[in-house]
Amino acid sequence: MELNRRDFLKASAGTAGLALIQPLNLGKTASSSNGSSPQSELAMLVDVSKCVSCWYCYAACKQINNLPETVKPDTENPPPLAPDIWSTLYTTKINDRWRSRKQACMHCTDAACVKVCPTGALHYNELGFVQYDKLKCSGCGYCTQYCPFGVPKLESDPVSGAGSMDKCIFCISLVTEGKPTACAAACPVGAIKFGNCSELRTEGKQRVETLQQTNDQANFYGDSDVLGGLHVMYVLDESPEVYGLPKDPELPAPAVVHDIIQWVGIGAVAAIVAGFSLNYLVARMRMGLDERRKSYARRISDRKANR
Amino acid sequence: MQEELAIEKRTVERFKIRTVLFHWTHTIAFLALIVTGLILFVPWFGAAAAGGATRVIHRIFAVLFVVLPVLYFPLNIKESIHFVKESLIGYDLSDLGWMMAAPDYYFGGDENKMPPQGHANTGQKMWQTVCILTYVLFLITGAIMWFLRGSVSPAVFQWSMLIHSVAFLLAFIMLFVHVYLGVLHPRMNESLKSMLDGKISPHYAKHHYGNWYDEISEGETKH
Repeated sequence: MELNRRDFLKASAGTAGLALIQPLNLGKTASSSNGSSPQSELAMLVDVSKCVSCWYCYAACKQINNLPETVKPDTENPPPLAPDIWSTLYTTKINDRWRSRKQACMHCTDAACVKVCPTGALHYNELGFVQYDKLKCSGCGYCTQYCPFGVPKLESDPVSGAGSMDKCIFCISLVTEGKPTACAAACPVGAIKFGNCSELRTEGKQRVETLQQTNDQANFYGDSDVLGGLHVMYVLDESPEVYGLPKDPELPAPAVVHDIIQWVGIGAVAAIVAGFSLNYLVARMRMGLDERRKSYARRISDRKANR
Repeated sequence: MQEELAIEKRTVERFKIRTVLFHWTHTIAFLALIVTGLILFVPWFGAAAAGGATRVIHRIFAVLFVVLPVLYFPLNIKESIHFVKESLIGYDLSDLGWMMAAPDYYFGGDENKMPPQGHANTGQKMWQTVCILTYVLFLITGAIMWFLRGSVSPAVFQWSMLIHSVAFLLAFIMLFVHVYLGVLHPRMNESLKSMLDGKISPHYAKHHYGNWYDEISEGETKH
């Protein structure tokens, strides 16, 4: 299997060749999908135990989002997420076998990136996925540093800092049309599933139970208690760290402290303005009109004297 | 009486003109940094940063903000060294006396109850200390966020951002105090003038900076 897959990858002359296969596959899966109602929460479930590292999801993402092909994906040397790579594979060698986890934005319900984005460029859309408005992005890069998964990517000019971030957009135009995401549609082995969030959660947990019969490392990642619930959940056959995932992802502490500081600052300025107003009135009153007149007269005489 | 009148007519040099120029150019840089930084700090103003033009302005004035003191320092080396020393190790028990007397004094109480001060009073020294401290903090954390994003760990970036904000808050609050006392407070009626032409009246010097006034008067009689 391993060899066949590799050979196929080579034979298909890289991702350009893979991309050609996608539209057929995409259409097929889209029409066969159950077409979840727009009100229901949608999500993806990635089962790494089924993944065969074929890179179809990578190619489909590139194609559907019109991202340039810059590198040939390679399981032993996978391209990391980048402004033009919104979905890739995180690979690791376990017991002499290469294993992969599809890696892209988790579309957290309580996303750190949305929280720290100063301009509101990053936001939740009506389906609950994390979207961004490129024109609003200031290129500050906070999202790239606060995301617990290191997903948003930004390449900026070293001097001016010009640039804007990019990441997976959950194929929003496809999904709003009722179609599945490109990566889910492209997966030939059903390792990436698209559908109703709670159904996928149940399905994922059942799959983990099955795997646990032979592998006590199997676990479900991205349950509703993780950052409000991830819209990309995982069935893992090893601990999260093995697949490059933080064990307990959470909003970084400085973001929480920063919130407090903001309000301390706003409060402090208000208190100071009030305090100074009071001080001004009291000081003038206590210093007395007479004294002020005297000092005014003195200043006038000083000025005259200086001339 | 004759002598007193003669003293009244003189002016005392409080700041050199180069110091005045440095003060105001640094002020412009800091104000530009405040405006372009505040929009990231206060959640409601964030939209103003969209597109990133304000970051470019922030970086230009950040360079000015950092470079100006470095250029000024050797131009006025004696005073500059004194300024740094005074701000960092220039505190002693007498500052406690100022702090005890200050609330009544600034609320218009009897100015004779205020212990005489040197060239800078305790409050001004505290502002100087905040300026130096936050300058260093802004420089280090700003450089990390500008040049080392992605090279340092996210945690280092996150804490740099937080420290940058804390430094800002500290400097901003003290700036409010500084501007209020320098420009608006009824008792500090020659403060702004001293930062415009560098001079104050001997009367003001005597009443606000008694020890310093004695020092320079002594020097004069010696010469």
